[in-house]
This record gives sequence, structure tokens and C-alpha cells, in this order.
Amino acid sequence: MEQQLAELTTKIAELEAQAGWGTTVAVEAFYWWCTGLMVIIHAGFLAYEMGASRKKNVLASGIKNILAFAFLVPTFYFIGWWIYLAFPGGLIPDLEAGAGGLPWSESMGPNLADNASGIFWAAFTLFAATTASIFSGAVIERIRLSSFIILAIVLGSVAWILAAAWAWHGDGWLLTKFGWHDFGAAGCVHMVAGFFALGVLINLGPRIGKFNADGTPNDLSPHNLPMATMGLMMIIVGFFGFLGGCIIYNGGDQWTTIFGNPATLSAVAFNTLMCFAGGIIMAWVLTRDPFWMMSGALAGIFGAAPGLDMYYPPLAFLLGMGGAASAVFAARFLERTLKIDDAVGAVGVHGFAGLFGVLAFGIFASGYPNVGDYPATSFMGQLIGAIAMFATGFLPGYLISLLLKGMGILRIPREAELLGMDKAKVPVSAYPEDPHHAAPGAVPA
Amino acid sequence: MGSPITNWDGATAYFTGFGSSTPGIILLIAIAAVVGAIFVGHLHESHAYSKVK
Repeated sequence: MEQQLAELTTKIAELEAQAGWGTTVAVEAFYWWCTGLMVIIHAGFLAYEMGASRKKNVLASGIKNILAFAFLVPTFYFIGWWIYLAFPGGLIPDLEAGAGGLPWSESMGPNLADNASGIFWAAFTLFAATTASIFSGAVIERIRLSSFIILAIVLGSVAWILAAAWAWHGDGWLLTKFGWHDFGAAGCVHMVAGFFALGVLINLGPRIGKFNADGTPNDLSPHNLPMATMGLMMIIVGFFGFLGGCIIYNGGDQWTTIFGNPATLSAVAFNTLMCFAGGIIMAWVLTRDPFWMMSGALAGIFGAAPGLDMYYPPLAFLLGMGGAASAVFAARFLERTLKIDDAVGAVGVHGFAGLFGVLAFGIFASGYPNVGDYPATSFMGQLIGAIAMFATGFLPGYLISLLLKGMGILRIPREAELLGMDKAKVPVSAYPEDPHHAAPGAVPA
Repeated sequence: MGSPITNWDGATAYFTGFGSSTPGIILLIAIAAVVGAIFVGHLHESHAYSKVK
């Protein structure tokens, strides 16, 4: 009898160990595939940004977009993950909490006792690269590449991740002090990137020919609208990985959000599709333009992103419409009134639709309990968070681009802008059979 | 450099050079490579644009 009990105990221990490993590996695999899907966001941004450029700049825009991704990866390794772990309390780092994110930590490389750090670092790196790609589209056709890379690193490896430590962390001060809620990162990803871009655009100025002497805008149309539109649809596909990465897989227990409240992927599925559809429909009503319809899809998702885990799906549909409307009207205001040349509408789509989403959550979803002793969700909490997200994006974008402008290295020379960046500095041609683009690097007489 | 472990039993962090100063040196070289690449890009742009002017 005792021997049988001992065998049974051993068997149970083996089964428990197997179940534990099954859970560990399943969690790892879930985020691995979320990260893989998020790479499609960058394929989409690449197509969208190159399509949105004029023929003379298409490859230069592609190079800029690819390099934003490439430089974000190592710099996020060097400093980004440490910032996320060390700064949830504000601007003073918690050195003990941040130690695991230092690039010489035992967690920051192959480690058989740590199946989590690498996969979460990778997912957050893809979020960081997303912020850089958002910014990248706004400044096409006149920014200097090396200065763009510096700005992209500041945005993706410092500004957004500092905002994420505050607004997308289980101990972030916006949650613990104000009950902030933002399931889909409308604040720390989209507001920060959108308003960072606005800060840079103010110093960068419009493309030559964008505005007439009387201030009226000209249409510098995308050279390949179908490619840009397809790129936007690819971004939507990638967002299913992005939103999957926003939920915490707890193995043998219910999913939770990053803020600790229980949630389901079913909730996110309902609401993501509903706000996506709402965004397209509203943008179609307002513009009839397929580029803006797909941008409206994105803005629709951001308009409902903070509450994708909680909203009644028809409300998500209406908020999607609101997000798209806010993006379209903001883009028109920026161009027609403030004379800001945002080539792809990134400030409207990400900055203003994200702002709309964050505040809408405060209006429609206040009063939800948070875990522990943290305050319940509220409009004031969302408003305070929105101000913090705006400042974390806009201030570094404006100040560092002002510095680069003062050094004379923010913008390419006028002659190169008129000629086209591809001919000025790219050793290959996008359209070699086109007589105007046949000779890469050649300077016309 | 090389393996920091001699046996997989009980191994935890096992990346190349773990526990020595080597990863720190490699990290510094990687940081320098990133900064250097940006600088090289800056020089290339300056050269290319000076030809256009």
C-alpha cells in the first residue's frame, strides 16, 4: 500500500511537472507568434510609406522605414527594456526592479531558467518599432536619414517605453494612482508616436510645393495608391498580433490585461472587428478615398483600443467611427489651418484618434474596478494619462528636432529635395524602365 | 569567450561568455557599431548632397 502511494505521488509530481512545462512553452509560443504577426505591421508600413511617396523618393522612403526597424532592435536591447522595468513609478528609476533589463543581466540572453524575458522583450521591441514606423511616414521626402534615425531611436527606445512603464505596466503610476486603463495602447504607442511626429513636423516644415504662397495646400499624391492601401491592410493584419500581445497569457488561469483585470480574447475579437468596420465606414462617408478608408480602419481601432476588453461591441463600432472622424478632421485642421505637412496623416490617425480613444474610455467605461487597492477607472484618470502621453511624445520630438534643426542637419538640401532623394543618394533605381528614373545616382544637367 | 558551462544539468544563463567580462566588451563594441553606422550614414548623406548642390 505504501509503495503504491509512493508511486502515485511520483506519478502526480511527473504529471504536474509536465503540465507546468506545457504551460510555460504554450505561453512562450503564444507571444512568439504574436511577435511574428507584428512583423507584418512593418511589411505594411513599408508598402504604405513607399506607395505614399512620389516616384522620385520611393526607395529613400523604403530605406528610411527599414532602418527605423533595424536601429530600434539593438537600441531597445541596450536601454529600452531597462527603462520599462525601472520607471513605472515616474522619472526616478527603481534600480532593483530595472536590474533584469540591463543588457548584461542574465535574463537578457539564452537562459534555461527564463522562458519569459526574451519573448516579452521581442514583443515590446516590435511595439517600439511600430512607434518609429508611425513617425517615419509623417516625415517622408525631406528629412535627413541620419537625423531621422536619431529621432526614431529617441522615440522607440526611450519615449514610448517610458510612457509604457507609466501607462502599460501592472505597477505604472497612472494605474496605481489614477486607475488608468488602456488595453490596446492607444496612449503609450499611438498618442506618443503621433504627437512625437507633430513635434518634429513643426521644426521640419512642409515639402517644397505643398503649400502655395497664400497658404492653400497642394495635393502631393502618392505615386502608388494601391500599394499604399494594401500596406494599410497589412498593418491591420499585423494588429491582430499586436492586440494579442496586449493580453497576458496566464497558463492555467483566465487571461488578464496588463493592468491585472480578467479579460478574454473573445472580447477583443468582438470589439476589434467592430471598431475596424466602424472606422472604414466613417472614413468612406467623410472622404470617399481608399487611402483614408484604410487609415480610418486603423483610427477606428485606436478609437476603441483602450476598452477592447470591456466595450459592448456596437459601442466599439460607434467609437471606431468616432476615431476615424477625429483622424480625418484633425488631419484637415493640421493641413488647412496650421499648415502642417503630415504626408500620411499619422498625427491625425495615431495622435488624435488615440487621444479620442483614451478620453472616450473615460466617458463610456468609468467605474470599472481595478485590482487590489487601485482606484476604479474614471474620466479624470484618463485625462491625466492623456496629458502625460501627449507630453511624453510631443516634447522630445519637438526639442530634439529643434536641436537638429539648429545644427543644420534636420532637413535635406533644397536641390536634393527638388531632384529627388533616390537620384541624390540611392545606388539603384525603383523604376529603371522609366526614362525619368533610369540612371540611379545621376544628376541631370 | 566560449561556453560558460561544462554540463547542461542545472544550467541557467548559458550565453557565450556569461560570467566573464567578455559580454561587456562585446556590448560596448555593439553600441559603438550602432553609433558608427549612424555616423557613416551622416557622412554618406553629406557627400551625396554636396554633389547635388
